[in-house]
Amino acid sequence: MIRLTDLHVTFNRGTAMEKKALRGVTLDIKKGDFLCVIGGNGAGKSTLLNTLCGDDLPEKGTISIDNKDVTSLASWQRASYVARVFQDPMAGTCANLTIEENLALAMSRGKKRTLKRALNKDHRDLFRTQLSRLKLGLEDRLHSPIGLLSGGQRQAVSLIMAVLQPMKIIALDEHTAALDPKTAAFIVELTREIVVENHLTALMVTHSMHQALELGNRTLMLHEGRVVFDVQGKERKGLTVADLLDLFHKASGLELDDDSLLLS
Amino acid sequence: MNLIQFMGAVEIGLLYGLVAMGVLLSFRILDFPDLTVDGSFPLGSAVCAILIVSGANPWIATFAAILAGMVAGFITAWISVRWNILHLLASMLTMFALYSINLRVMGRPNIALLGENTIFTPIENLPYPHLYTMSLAMLGVTSIVLVLLYWFLSSEKGLAMRATGANMRMAKAQGVSVNKQILFGLALSNGLVALAGALFAQSQGFADISMGVGTIIMGLAAVIVGEAFFNPKVILTALIACVMGSIFYYLVRAMALNASFLGFQASDLNLVTAILVGIAMITPRLRAKILDFKSSWGNS
Ligand SMILES: Nc1ncnc2c1ncn2[C@@H]1O[C@H](COP(=O)(O)OP(=O)(O)O)[C@@H](O)[C@H]1O
Ligand SMILES: [Mg+2]
Repeated sequence: MIRLTDLHVTFNRGTAMEKKALRGVTLDIKKGDFLCVIGGNGAGKSTLLNTLCGDDLPEKGTISIDNKDVTSLASWQRASYVARVFQDPMAGTCANLTIEENLALAMSRGKKRTLKRALNKDHRDLFRTQLSRLKLGLEDRLHSPIGLLSGGQRQAVSLIMAVLQPMKIIALDEHTAALDPKTAAFIVELTREIVVENHLTALMVTHSMHQALELGNRTLMLHEGRVVFDVQGKERKGLTVADLLDLFHKASGLELDDDSLLLS
Repeated sequence: MNLIQFMGAVEIGLLYGLVAMGVLLSFRILDFPDLTVDGSFPLGSAVCAILIVSGANPWIATFAAILAGMVAGFITAWISVRWNILHLLASMLTMFALYSINLRVMGRPNIALLGENTIFTPIENLPYPHLYTMSLAMLGVTSIVLVLLYWFLSSEKGLAMRATGANMRMAKAQGVSVNKQILFGLALSNGLVALAGALFAQSQGFADISMGVGTIIMGLAAVIVGEAFFNPKVILTALIACVMGSIFYYLVRAMALNASFLGFQASDLNLVTAILVGIAMITPRLRAKILDFKSSWGNS
């Protein structure tokens, strides 16, 4: 489904600020995989997702989706393969467009945009049905600018936007990090439902090790731009946070206490 | 201010409403501060005037002016997105170059259109007072452009353009080719401004190389004054607000210059404009402060 081969990403190359964010990441993600990505601050998690989506360009390595090489495609061209939800609730929606306009924008993702009206009755009906599942009352606020919504509400709308078009892959970058615990739990549950319903292949960056073991079928840890471990199936069953730390220790030869990872 | 001055201000205000919509498109919708308009307004006048005096059909001349403006806007956008040059600098370059180009187009610094056949000739020949018919004609043109622009901005393509200016990263994630939006958006914006230039030349009866100076300020003044008054939340009111802002701006300007007790003369125009725009820019802050004050008053 997704194949990343020996990806290298370096920022500010050739300057004093040079930063090797990814140093040879190779990954094979099967259709329907739900991959949780963990790692300390600056490990390269966001860069991995950004490279998959085309925001960061690799200097070496290839990316293919469904056996199609997408390495040289710009991010907007990859939008028909990958839907995204960003960490910052402000990033994934347009504050001064209304809720329905944001959804309409997502409705034509991956399609040719025409001169037809972006919004019509059918769209609004669909949006209302989709929004009503959130039970946030947003279906009655289609005309409100989305900037008036709380962070959690905006993330929820972002998730709906991700699946308005038939979509295969969803990339979530710490999309609950900016939310309070209760809202975060709601968004995580919503994410799980949406991934299952739409048979999506998911990559989710999380800062919670518990979540990384509970959610999905596969857990990947990055450290300094490399994959330190990648567990799934039987190997992953019964793993605890302590085991994860132990795995990390063995793989990287470094000590890492739970707190520093959880808090970072 | 007498009736002639009043109607004159309305007519010019409506005409600059086209510039205002162009500026709204670049500055506000695409978030691309574009100074090209100072060159594309006289470009529109120049292209239209030279074609008319060479005997071309005035409609074709006007259409050619729009195309020329679109090319100018496209070039600014191309310099900016293709070569990653700061928008202000890219547009300054084009604006600067357009001065020479406009002189080349006209072949001389000034072209008179008196007695030539323009798109307004049929209206001037009507047996009604020129004063009203010209304003009505301008109202017609500006309204048609406003409706077309509104229709475009509410379409799927238009929504993609608005998203590009509002949140580029999100627009890309939704599959919008943001560079194309900027290229087309700036072409559209400068096409509108060139249309205004062409209409200006035809209604005032001349084209002059220096007539573009300050176009960007007029456009911005209209947008900002409109926003201060209408506080628009949706695209239709934003469009109407900037046209109203333009009319209002020209009315206040005419009043200020004609009120003898104020003692302004024509050369004080820039000062009057700056003061007016300044007030309009401060108004929203002031409004917020007053609301703040009221609510804290209510809570205590
Ligand atoms: N656009 C950028 N320019 C320069 N350095 C960057 C950029 N993006 C990320 N980095 C650096 O690359 C490293 C990996 O960053 P990132 O992928 O964001 O880490 P994280 O795992 O915390 O998401 C960090 O050291 C970060 O400072
Ligand atoms: Mg990150």
